[in-house]
Amino acid sequence: MEEIGKPTLLMQLNQMLLIRNLEIRGEAAYQQGKVGGFYHSYIGQEAIQVGCVAAVGVQHWFTTTYRCHALALLLGVTPNEIMAELYGKATGNAKGRGGSMHLFADRMLGGLAIVGGHIPIATGAAFSIKYLKRKDIASFCFLGEGAVAQGAFHESLNMAALWSLPCIYVIENNHWGMGTAVERAIAVSPIAEHLANSYGIKSYSVDGMDFFACYALFKEVLNEVLRTSQPLLIEAVTERFRGHSISDPGLYRSKEELQKAMERDPVLLMKAALIENKMLSEEEFEEMDRKQREIVLAAMKFADESPWPDPVALEEGVFAP
Amino acid sequence: MELQNIEIREALRQAIDEEMTHDPRVLIMGEEVAQYNGAYKVTKGLLDKWGPMRVVDTPISENGFVGLAIGAALTGLRPIVEFMSWNFSFVAADQLISNASKIYYMSAGRFHVPIVFRGCNGSAAQVSCQHSHCVEAMYGNLPGWVIISPSNAYDAKGLLKSAIRFNNPVLFLENEPEYGDKMDIPTDEYTIPIGKAKVIREGRHATLISYSRMIKFCLLAAKELAKKGFEIEIIDLRTIKPLDIATVAASVRKTHRAVLVEEGHLFAGISAEMGFQIMEHCFDSLDAPLVRVCQRETPMPYSKVLECQTIPNPERIIAALETVLL
Repeated sequence: MEEIGKPTLLMQLNQMLLIRNLEIRGEAAYQQGKVGGFYHSYIGQEAIQVGCVAAVGVQHWFTTTYRCHALALLLGVTPNEIMAELYGKATGNAKGRGGSMHLFADRMLGGLAIVGGHIPIATGAAFSIKYLKRKDIASFCFLGEGAVAQGAFHESLNMAALWSLPCIYVIENNHWGMGTAVERAIAVSPIAEHLANSYGIKSYSVDGMDFFACYALFKEVLNEVLRTSQPLLIEAVTERFRGHSISDPGLYRSKEELQKAMERDPVLLMKAALIENKMLSEEEFEEMDRKQREIVLAAMKFADESPWPDPVALEEGVFAP
Repeated sequence: MELQNIEIREALRQAIDEEMTHDPRVLIMGEEVAQYNGAYKVTKGLLDKWGPMRVVDTPISENGFVGLAIGAALTGLRPIVEFMSWNFSFVAADQLISNASKIYYMSAGRFHVPIVFRGCNGSAAQVSCQHSHCVEAMYGNLPGWVIISPSNAYDAKGLLKSAIRFNNPVLFLENEPEYGDKMDIPTDEYTIPIGKAKVIREGRHATLISYSRMIKFCLLAAKELAKKGFEIEIIDLRTIKPLDIATVAASVRKTHRAVLVEEGHLFAGISAEMGFQIMEHCFDSLDAPLVRVCQRETPMPYSKVLECQTIPNPERIIAALETVLL
């Protein structure tokens, strides 16, 4: 904790709070009919991607799933752009063409929403890194444990191991592929350990609710991958506090189970650690949370007041010049 | 102009080799493209010349390596992906459809996908129903990519070079039975613009519109009809999508009759689309209903007797022309 330093830690807690507030308000906007389509909240899993980006920086390639709001924020997409995209407005991250599941940043290849379909894409980014002889960056691929059942996952691991591609695959195991419990979908446990063995690569497991554990692990594995140019498989064990998407009431999970999971809320765990180390007071935390809420409320106002995309431009931009 | 007499496979190889020379970001990957020199020898010698980083043998993982190539295209490279046959592209359909054709639009232009997918399409010699698909109508239904299907060595080389330089996905459809077809083409470099059809035989009584391997059958049919005094115009589409309807319409307005020939199936095929567009542009010029000659609505049978009956053949094209002429 001393090593990371107070200013960085507070900044990362801020990021967690920003994500948390954006998801809460995004869902509220959905309930008001301002956001359509599917909405997959990252609430509960924040420590993983916040810890990762804090540890490795933003210069790498990143690819993730439909649960993509947090990563976009962390890679520099503004709350305004994200909220406007959720609202389907012209000022959105993808001018209202992508929506909740398809956010992009200069180093973020999506926001790709077919389960497992983004894993070869991230592997291709690692291929480019190797082809272009870049020794200073890696490709990060976040996936849910449900995607482990897809052929694309196994094909990617095989090629990455075969060709020594600097790709870090992060299974965010939140225990549920929509309403199917992981033990009903994946034959082995722990997942990463078993499957990494199959492809002759290394694996790590980490408590995905613990920012500090995630931060430390990502710092270490980045160095390792840059040194060895070998892919790695990480399993971050986590919990999503919401349904699979907003339309999922989560009836498959008991209230007690969820309550127990929420006792290890990554935001509260980080807060408690900072308070214990006298880096933060309860009042300061409340103030931070309030500020992030205000940023998100301002983003909602921005999105509300932004123009709709002009239907005249509907057919523009199908092809690159 | 200096000429060389070469096969289609050599024309394709030259296109790849020249573009790899011009741009170090161009690479080719696929099953057996490197050490084996290509299942159909299109990539012969490229591994020796360019090495394993730019001529990449892949495992038999179409979904994986197509996605990988798209990821590489998004991050600065310009891959050419060889499908040993387009039939295997179905294994990679998710990557093609959900990613390659969509990412430029859905990222609002942040990422473009400069990539060429190429390989042999349609039937070969008795390879039966799982290895004989024509994919152009299936993929042609989706926006976001270009579909090219040349019928000769000159077009194959010039169009493949344009495809490699294009900043969007291109589906480049070749034909296994035609790889050995020879033609005199320039030794100097040239390109052919995407999206331009070509009148390859002029005539005034009816227009035959087709592409790729079926052009050969159209030429045979036109020769037969010439014996009966009919001058048949033939248009080689070369690029299927975008469809060069201007060239097609100009010809139909001249001849007032048209037969559309497509190796693939009838239902919702390329000729269904083309016929509709002809109706939109040339309704008042038509003196006879349009007629289609397509693959019959059966999976491809193995027996050669049946195979040549289910795909269009010169006899069926002649019969169709007689229907519109008489």
